Amino acid sequence: MADAALTEAQTQPGWGSSLASGLKARAWGLGSIAGGLLIWELISRFLVGNKLFLAAPSQVVVAFIELTRSGELSKHIYISGLEFLLGYSVACILGILLGLAMAQSTSAKQALQPWVSGLYATPTVALAPLFILWFGIGIMSKVVVVAVLVIFPVVINTEAGLRTTSPQLIETVRSFGANARQIFFKVALPSALPFIFAGLKLGIGRGLIGVVVAELFGSRAGLGQLISQSAETFNMPALFAGVTILAAAGIAMTSGFGWLERKLLPWRE
Amino acid sequence: MDMPVKLSVDKLTKKYNTLEVLRSISAEIHRGEFVSIVGPSGCGKTTFLRIVGGLEKANSGEVRLDGRVLTGPGSDRGFVFQQDNLLPWRTVLDNTEIGPEIGGYRNADQRKKTLKLLKLVGLAGFENYFPRQLSGGMRQRVNLARALAVDPDLLLMDEPFSALDAQTREIMQTELLRIWEEGRKTVLFVTHQIDEAVYLSDRVFVFARRPGCINEIMEIDLPRPRPLSMKRTPEFVAYVDHIWKLIEEDVRASVLEEHA
Repeated sequence: MADAALTEAQTQPGWGSSLASGLKARAWGLGSIAGGLLIWELISRFLVGNKLFLAAPSQVVVAFIELTRSGELSKHIYISGLEFLLGYSVACILGILLGLAMAQSTSAKQALQPWVSGLYATPTVALAPLFILWFGIGIMSKVVVVAVLVIFPVVINTEAGLRTTSPQLIETVRSFGANARQIFFKVALPSALPFIFAGLKLGIGRGLIGVVVAELFGSRAGLGQLISQSAETFNMPALFAGVTILAAAGIAMTSGFGWLERKLLPWRE
Repeated sequence: MDMPVKLSVDKLTKKYNTLEVLRSISAEIHRGEFVSIVGPSGCGKTTFLRIVGGLEKANSGEVRLDGRVLTGPGSDRGFVFQQDNLLPWRTVLDNTEIGPEIGGYRNADQRKKTLKLLKLVGLAGFENYFPRQLSGGMRQRVNLARALAVDPDLLLMDEPFSALDAQTREIMQTELLRIWEEGRKTVLFVTHQIDEAVYLSDRVFVFARRPGCINEIMEIDLPRPRPLSMKRTPEFVAYVDHIWKLIEEDVRASVLEEHA
């Protein structure tokens, strides 16, 4: 019988082939980045030839090293990182709770839905100057901007994830006598987790935009402030250094989330 | 049958708004008996099973299990669903133990029983696989093991093999009989395949439609264990033929209705 069952199992791809295909995919990615940097370097050196308009990657690297040596860069990264982390955490916790409330109770859903839909569609980042007026030039205003930008995709995805729970799966656990609490924790929540993760991932990009834009409108430190100050003084290498760090942070956090997702949700493809 | 009555159904009636799905169904099933329900689509056979499982409420009438009136779902019955309905984030083992987990007795003792059960259904070695890694036939084995894991008094099966291809289905029928011989649970099995019902059952309830009611109860007097080759014997074919004649008109009516 075990033999018959074995033939029914899906055959897994071998280790060797998956490793080789992984390397191949990575080779294309790395080659593309290297090629892009090379073209950028050549254009800025020979075609533009003016640091005021476009800084070459090599000049960005030099600026990066200088900013690191002076300790300026770590200060900016610390401030922006703190703003992002606080705003993002608050938004995730509040967003998941609001999403849960909306999925559990129709009155909560009816009360919150117009606000969530309305504010999600609004370019809230345009309200950043207002938040700076209300919460000052310090980190508080940036935390609020980040939180406002991040919370909506989290709420919407949490609610959608819980709402799309398969009625068949709920019925299955109900047939074993499960109560409402057991149905929630054993079926609804686990089936919503991939949606919640997707919301948290969407929030990363929005949160980083929030940090930078809010800092552009008024701040004492942070990567956004570094970027705006560098732009004002036509220091393109420093500007690009700031932008590069933001891009790297975005990529690192998104892929970190991807890794966490594979660890926590191994049952998915 | 000299066995005591396990399940008794008394004047069960079910309506969806004005549509009468089941009209005053009464029947008795004995302990250790394998009973199948066949009938054309729309005859209420699945609704009947779901009411016995406590997943739906009847408008009137009573269902008793060992004399107790049933009012809702419970782990005294194990339900095997048409779709496997496995929780995709749980492994085979964790899916199988969902019933004991809900009942609050998922312990080392239960683990031993579960592993034995998975071996019985032919899934030894697949305990840590996720559903997406299994074939349809294997998922239905988990579906069956999950229902058996609560050690139910009554096993309710709702067309569990209908999504499988013809060959896998025949293998699963022999497998089901092999597993059933081990513990001789009382089984109520819904199918629209007449030969499946005859092959598996001690008795077949033939349902008629609009409203759903029992047209005839047939004793299947064939020896056990039953090899697949029995399906080609004249006795077997005669049973299938007889049941087909009973429901033919209803099936034609339901087919015409579906295509209207």
